Amino acid sequence: MVLVKRIKPLPLGGILIPLLSIVIGILISTIILYVIVGASPIITLSCVVSSLISPEIVLTFLFLTILGVALLVAFSGSIWNIGAEGQLWLGTAAAAYVALFTTLPQAPIVAKIVMVLLAMVLGGAWAAVAGILRAYLNIDEVPVTLIMNYIAYYVINYLVRGPWLGKETWGYIRTDMIPDQVKFVLIPGSTTITYEVLILAVLTIALTYFMLKYTALGLRIRILGSNPDALKAAGVNVRALIITALAISGAIAGAMGAAQLAGYLHRISYPIESHTANYGYTAILVAWLSMLDIRAIPIAAYIVSALYQAGISMQIAGVSGASATYVFIGTVLLTFTVLRVFSEYTIKIVRR
Amino acid sequence: MRSIEVISYILTVAPAFMAYYLASLGQGFFEKSGVLNLAIDGVFVLGIAVGYAAGVYSGNPWVGLLAAMAAAVLFGMMLAYVTTKFPISHGAAGLSIMFLGYGLAGLIGVTARSTYNRLVASGIYPQYTLPTSPTARILMFVIPVLVGILFYLIETRTKLGAAIRAVGENPHAATALGVDVIKIRLIAALIGYSLIGAGSMGFLTWIATWSEGAGVNHGWIAYAISLAAGRHPILTIGTAGAFAALATYMFALQAAYNLSPEIAKMIPFIVAIGAMVAFMATPLRKKLAPPLSLGKRFFKEERTV
Amino acid sequence: MTESKAYNSNFSLKINTPIVSVKNISKRFPGAVALDNVNFDILEGEVHALLGENGAGKSTLVKILYGIYSPDKGEIYVRGRRVRINSPKDAIKHGIVMVSQIPQIIDRLTVAENIILGLEKYGLTSRISEVRDFIKVKSKEVGIAVDPDIEVWKLSYTQKQLVEILRALLIGARILLLDEAITFLPLIEKRKFYKFIRNFVDEGGSVVLITHKIYEAMDIADRITVLRQGRVVGTVRRDEVSPDDVRKMMFAEKSAQITYERLPTSKPRDVVALEIRDLWVMGDYGVHAVKGVNLTVKAGEVVGIAGIAGNGQKELIQAVIGLRKVEKGNIMLYSEDVTNKGVAKIRVKGVGYIPDQPARFGVSLDNNIEENLAMLPAITRRIIKWGAVRELARKLINEFNILTPSSKAPVKLLSGGNIMKVLVSRELFVAKRLLVAYNPTRTLDEVTAIMVRKIIKEKAAKDGVGVLIASEDLDEIFQIADTIAVMNSGKIVGTFPGDKANRDEVERLMVM
Repeated sequence: MVLVKRIKPLPLGGILIPLLSIVIGILISTIILYVIVGASPIITLSCVVSSLISPEIVLTFLFLTILGVALLVAFSGSIWNIGAEGQLWLGTAAAAYVALFTTLPQAPIVAKIVMVLLAMVLGGAWAAVAGILRAYLNIDEVPVTLIMNYIAYYVINYLVRGPWLGKETWGYIRTDMIPDQVKFVLIPGSTTITYEVLILAVLTIALTYFMLKYTALGLRIRILGSNPDALKAAGVNVRALIITALAISGAIAGAMGAAQLAGYLHRISYPIESHTANYGYTAILVAWLSMLDIRAIPIAAYIVSALYQAGISMQIAGVSGASATYVFIGTVLLTFTVLRVFSEYTIKIVRR
Repeated sequence: MRSIEVISYILTVAPAFMAYYLASLGQGFFEKSGVLNLAIDGVFVLGIAVGYAAGVYSGNPWVGLLAAMAAAVLFGMMLAYVTTKFPISHGAAGLSIMFLGYGLAGLIGVTARSTYNRLVASGIYPQYTLPTSPTARILMFVIPVLVGILFYLIETRTKLGAAIRAVGENPHAATALGVDVIKIRLIAALIGYSLIGAGSMGFLTWIATWSEGAGVNHGWIAYAISLAAGRHPILTIGTAGAFAALATYMFALQAAYNLSPEIAKMIPFIVAIGAMVAFMATPLRKKLAPPLSLGKRFFKEERTV
Repeated sequence: MTESKAYNSNFSLKINTPIVSVKNISKRFPGAVALDNVNFDILEGEVHALLGENGAGKSTLVKILYGIYSPDKGEIYVRGRRVRINSPKDAIKHGIVMVSQIPQIIDRLTVAENIILGLEKYGLTSRISEVRDFIKVKSKEVGIAVDPDIEVWKLSYTQKQLVEILRALLIGARILLLDEAITFLPLIEKRKFYKFIRNFVDEGGSVVLITHKIYEAMDIADRITVLRQGRVVGTVRRDEVSPDDVRKMMFAEKSAQITYERLPTSKPRDVVALEIRDLWVMGDYGVHAVKGVNLTVKAGEVVGIAGIAGNGQKELIQAVIGLRKVEKGNIMLYSEDVTNKGVAKIRVKGVGYIPDQPARFGVSLDNNIEENLAMLPAITRRIIKWGAVRELARKLINEFNILTPSSKAPVKLLSGGNIMKVLVSRELFVAKRLLVAYNPTRTLDEVTAIMVRKIIKEKAAKDGVGVLIASEDLDEIFQIADTIAVMNSGKIVGTFPGDKANRDEVERLMVM
């Protein structure tokens, strides 16, 4: 048996392969949960199904959509940014700084805009560091972006324990609440969804779609993935392109970080590594499942947020810890990573 | 400060050194074969939980050690296998195994803990601590260092070492030279991950008992230790020693020098990035640059246009 | 060809059983048949040339013999026994060893480490030092002096190829597959290999020499098998055929179209398109690759740089286009100094560029024709006007007769010749003032190659574009150039008008 590259990707592979991976991944997870903790497959599967229609997933869905787009920008250029986690938390920190330590909140609209913009700048700059190392020294961005997540955690932890420690925290180590007027505005009838987050999600998708499809920058990022040498010969500054792609990716992640603060968390609690929802890592699965098609990002985000929720509801059902979420995500991601091969390759049986 | 005190300070670092050094040694050895190993943190966490659980169920922590090594090897070989047999992203495969490791660790650990609690109530239960006598502590330095020297010799002096470096540099050329890439990577995973598993059990003896999330991020510290030393077994002794001391004395340093523990935690990661820069931008690259094909997809049937 | 006789043995088919037999081998690649029912025998003690133009399937065939590719169909017999070759390891067991054009030894390993990897008798736990003395002794025997402890990256290209040969012998090669392994060596070095090959077969070994150069096959082979479009045209004994017979076998009915006649000289305008003054450029290994080159290209003139690979042509071309830093000297484009201005700034001034290895440096295979046009800064600045790009794509497709399902099909679906047309048409469109090219036809079949040269020449003559071409193929230079400049060791060692240049003199300067 040998693998042979297809000329054209598998027809409908973009839909079939992700769906198949999700089904197989959930089945494997169900077996794992049954074998190790004796969780009844019926409970596991009903948790998954009920999560698909649970209103609880909307906020996660929106966040994962934004982050999925962020990663898609980098991944389109074969730049494996796995640092969205750090980039988004720095965005959160930037927004918290504006909300807590400047006088801007007196003008709430300006403050909200500045919160998001500063978050984008910081997230983008953080990602650009990895871009610079990759562009100029050819250092693999994967370990760099990953390691920088931890540096980001500890920087923010330092701030929250030290200079940013709140005054009214009842013994918890955390910042103060951001002022009410810069909190995002809840949609009537919801306790988590805000207008601003919705707008941000829509804008992110629309602008990124335009960028990738109608600008030279977007086209060149896409070509960067398959043929950087041709870009160089064509006269494109590939170094700047790598840095730009990472910066855009980090900026979008940073914006999501601001939204997380103003729309939901409202304060930063110490330590980050125990309070993070790990969206930055989970979003890798979203971008990956979309097969790098931006139109599929919301669908992928929807499914992943349901899996995310399924783990949490299993916890509530008393079956297992948050571990179930990890098992779901791990099995689906692994199955998909392997099955994805068959979108571009086909197996040939060779009699020898 | 009297020298006896200095020695006792150094000996206190032994458990952390043993855990980190073994894991980062295994990490470096495995990555030399060209597989980007992002599974390490998840598998490290899993090793701790499996070691704990096997100790609980068998009553013997040494069975725990074997089980931790076996579990780590299983996932390590899975990573080596899928990334070599299929042209897939090493990063995605590694991270998915990481997630799986976290998840399985939680499930296994929580289940074992209820048994453990019953055993504690009955009075007979496995102890996950190593002796604290100076001799034992010295051995916790000496044995890992001897293993490290052995690994250095394997890497530089034997055909296996040459084969591992060959598949890490250029698996296609290595194939043409007569190397079976999948076999060599599986061997590298077997050896490397058994050390990572041993390191995770060492970590359990350091923290003495399991709780949810035990070991999370410590696999990444081992990763950083290995990067900071350019995956060199002997240099890794230095980085592992330094970062183990930093982890052991984090709060003491805060008291004595007002060094925030957050900054102390950051140092290994910043040093790792600094080392990566140094190994690519200076003449050190000849010896310490990462394997040329690290993390690159391997596809045998490729048509060269 | 006078030299060649010395290397041909008075080979007679003394042993009739072939040592290796290939029967009915077929191999498809996505979108193309690489081999179609190929039968091929290798006899003991012969040098067997496998001859064919680019894309004829020769490389695929030897890669199947060496276990790198798997055949879709067919069998391989070694000494009459059916064998399965699933990996190079299996091939080595049968005494089959390949040496490729690009050295397949690993830079950061020592010579001894590279060699021990293929030696079955040493297990994985063997120490490298065990093989060191063996290498020293053996290398003296064959007359290839090499330090077993040197890391391979310190060796030159020729030395690496020698190490590959040494390795093949040490691991017990009986059948040596040389895949264009000596094609790009300078003549003098080549002769060392010829002598060595002859010794090897005299002692009962067999050599398969894969080449696309007829003279190389005629120089050294006992028998020649010609491949065309994945099929065996025939196997002949060298002493029974003339080079012209072989040429007809290679090109068949197209051989009439294949002509190396000079294209008509164009009339240069009185404007200097490109002026290179005392140019110094660094090579990849920290030494100067271009040492004080002066060169002038007039508008409408084609200047061809002849030279053996590795004499600084690549670096010169890259410096002109802005891909490589100029250490000293100036590059003037229509009297404007563009030294070290960078590719983007130089290209938007109306400079086209046809690089070596077009599939890698010229176009992006996964993208379609429109995207391959729009990616150029000379065509798109910020926002892409897809309507205009589409129109341009259609125009080029019509003008150059590019065979493609549509302007939206990924370029990789096109044949090699049509991919080249995409690149050439795009670059000619951009090249309003100057075209720079490096080995522009290296990967093409001969008919397409000649067509590409004609198109370039016409562009120069008609639109008054200056053209600078560097090529390692002397036939190409003589066919297209109005002025021939010979480059050797980083310097221009002679300049001749194309119609009056003496080929022997040019070759002498190339190897001098």
